[in-house]
Amino acid sequence: MAELKILHMYPSMLDLYGDSGNVEILRYRCRMRGIDTTVVKHELGDRDTDLSGVDIIYLGGGADYEQQLLADDLLGMTDKIKAAYKDGVYFLMICGGYQLMGQYYKDSNGKKIPGLGLFDYHTTASTNKRERCIGNIVIETQLGDKRYKVIGFENHGGQTTNVKTPFGRVLAGNGNEFGSSSEGYSEENVTATYLHGPLLSKNPRLADKIIAYCMTRKTGKEYVPAPINDKLETECRKVLLERLLKKK
Amino acid sequence: MSLKNTLTIWFGKLMVKVLHLLGKDAGNAPGLVLWELNKDCLKAFRVDCPIIAVTGTNGKTSVTNYLNHIFESTGRKIITNKQGNNLDTGITSLLLNNCDMKGRVKADYLVLEIDESHVPVIFSKLKLETLVLLNFFRDQLDRNGEVETLILKVKKFLETFEGNVVLNADDPNVSRLGLANPENKNIYYFSVEKYAGATEKPYEVGEGKFCPMCGEELRYDYYQYSHVGRFCCPKCGFGRVKPYVTAENVRLDVPSVTFGGEEYKISHNSIYYVYNLSAVYAAASLYKFDKKVLHETFEKFEVNNGRLEKFKVGGSDLLVNLAKNPVGANMTLRVMNEHKGEKELLFVLNDNLADGHDVSWIWDINFSVFSGVTRVVTSGTRAYDIAIRIKCSGYDPDRIVVRPDLDDAMKEFFNTRGSKYAIANYTAIQPTRAAIKRYKAGLKEGASNG
Repeated sequence: MAELKILHMYPSMLDLYGDSGNVEILRYRCRMRGIDTTVVKHELGDRDTDLSGVDIIYLGGGADYEQQLLADDLLGMTDKIKAAYKDGVYFLMICGGYQLMGQYYKDSNGKKIPGLGLFDYHTTASTNKRERCIGNIVIETQLGDKRYKVIGFENHGGQTTNVKTPFGRVLAGNGNEFGSSSEGYSEENVTATYLHGPLLSKNPRLADKIIAYCMTRKTGKEYVPAPINDKLETECRKVLLERLLKKK
Repeated sequence: MSLKNTLTIWFGKLMVKVLHLLGKDAGNAPGLVLWELNKDCLKAFRVDCPIIAVTGTNGKTSVTNYLNHIFESTGRKIITNKQGNNLDTGITSLLLNNCDMKGRVKADYLVLEIDESHVPVIFSKLKLETLVLLNFFRDQLDRNGEVETLILKVKKFLETFEGNVVLNADDPNVSRLGLANPENKNIYYFSVEKYAGATEKPYEVGEGKFCPMCGEELRYDYYQYSHVGRFCCPKCGFGRVKPYVTAENVRLDVPSVTFGGEEYKISHNSIYYVYNLSAVYAAASLYKFDKKVLHETFEKFEVNNGRLEKFKVGGSDLLVNLAKNPVGANMTLRVMNEHKGEKELLFVLNDNLADGHDVSWIWDINFSVFSGVTRVVTSGTRAYDIAIRIKCSGYDPDRIVVRPDLDDAMKEFFNTRGSKYAIANYTAIQPTRAAIKRYKAGLKEGASNG
């Protein structure tokens, strides 16, 4: 039986807003297709985290305080992470995780936290802690040859700029900056976004796209995930899209 | 009294009067208007009696109601905000309703529940005697900002506060506040001895993983629930405090608990509830109450109002509990699991302003503990979100019924008989209680007609 390995980085520090739910959802949707999953955790101070055979690297969001605490530890993993990225491992990163993979994050106290520098974008938070992009958000992204609306909740002070290939176009909400037209960052094997919710809970096709990518990469054969009972998700999306897009 | 203060009171009283004449409950509105007109409006009141305030993420309403019951049992005149309204504007409205034209508030005690973020602003203007701090959990994050911001706000207030502080020794987020003002000798910790359901590893997502003093990872001997338990910092020793009150011999099967060598019968079988009672016991001890009053209160008093509230509906037993954050919901699931047989769950989830528009907190609820749950009904403005959450924990989606409308949900939920549990979040709890009562009334009417 096929098996996917997920590296969950800093699960006890980067787990704001139910972000760890994304891992739970990936595992659930794999299980429904008979794909086994194992989760490897990397916590602050772990020295010998093994990235070999890892299919997905996941980072959730965290508060400023936690991001500061783990920045050095993350930088210590730069070589391993860069190698995994080049190797085609899938990177799923939410909010703080998204920011930390860029050039730097300047937090709300004006303190500059160096990023891992995997991507060119960088983030600066307003020093006015009340100035945050908060609320429901809907963006439109491209999944294969189809457009897909992605629903989530954003809550970030950081304004991310120099994004060359955004994850999606904002239909409702803020995105990378206040009133921005673009949201997140993406490449073939990268989804980086501000969307909590958790992200995958209301966007099952995005979850399936990640699973399909990883399975195809792992087995060398094109993998098409079989449909599963997504009645609740379908209804949820209908209700929310109607409500969130009508406002405009 | 200054002219400004006199005018503030007169104007406020006039507003209350007019609203009453219009047949409206004054509620929050007069306070809201006064704050708009005069940021120092609280200073216009003259409160000469002691003020006791209760704050923390979970349990404020319950602990305030218990204290209020204890004080009133001994014939004291209490002014309290039993129904919440715990922001600056709510407190202003409360005082307006209870003062004379000179702004004098006549009572023996004010017992108030106060929103965590409003403690500093309210008590920079009113003299506080005792502050009870229950716990700090993640709650409505998009409204309050991160928990740490909130704790720092209360800490700043405590740095210059010299009154009594009653603190949960077992919550590192609260315990640390006992060190906010080293000059203050009136620090009273309460703690609960390890109970049978305590675990070696955290059972639910928590907040206090790192030492707030030095940043080192905290070491836990055990967890009672969430991040509440016996902890200590291996580096700086943070966490070693001597409690003023310790709840001993916690027996949820009776249920009972021992304070000061005396066994108290209690009315609910939840560890979370025992912590609330310990806070009540500690605060009450500062005011030297007859133990008889405490026994009577702990054994019989019920807050109801959606806090572990019991209903009988058409042959079913229903327990309803408010849960506005994961910890609250996890506690209800634990109570549900104490019941060994089959049961059904109703979960009502709203995303209104007062709930926080973000409902992602439901993913921090540990649903994998479900045992013997034969059906789940979901309702509220985010009925589908909670349904998806429960599904992804591994629960059969075909046994989840979504009924966003509450009356539809009740019809569905009560079409079987048995043990039932309901969890509702902040703005959902009162509509849920009302829908249960409507459904019950409909049953009676049906019976008498048929």
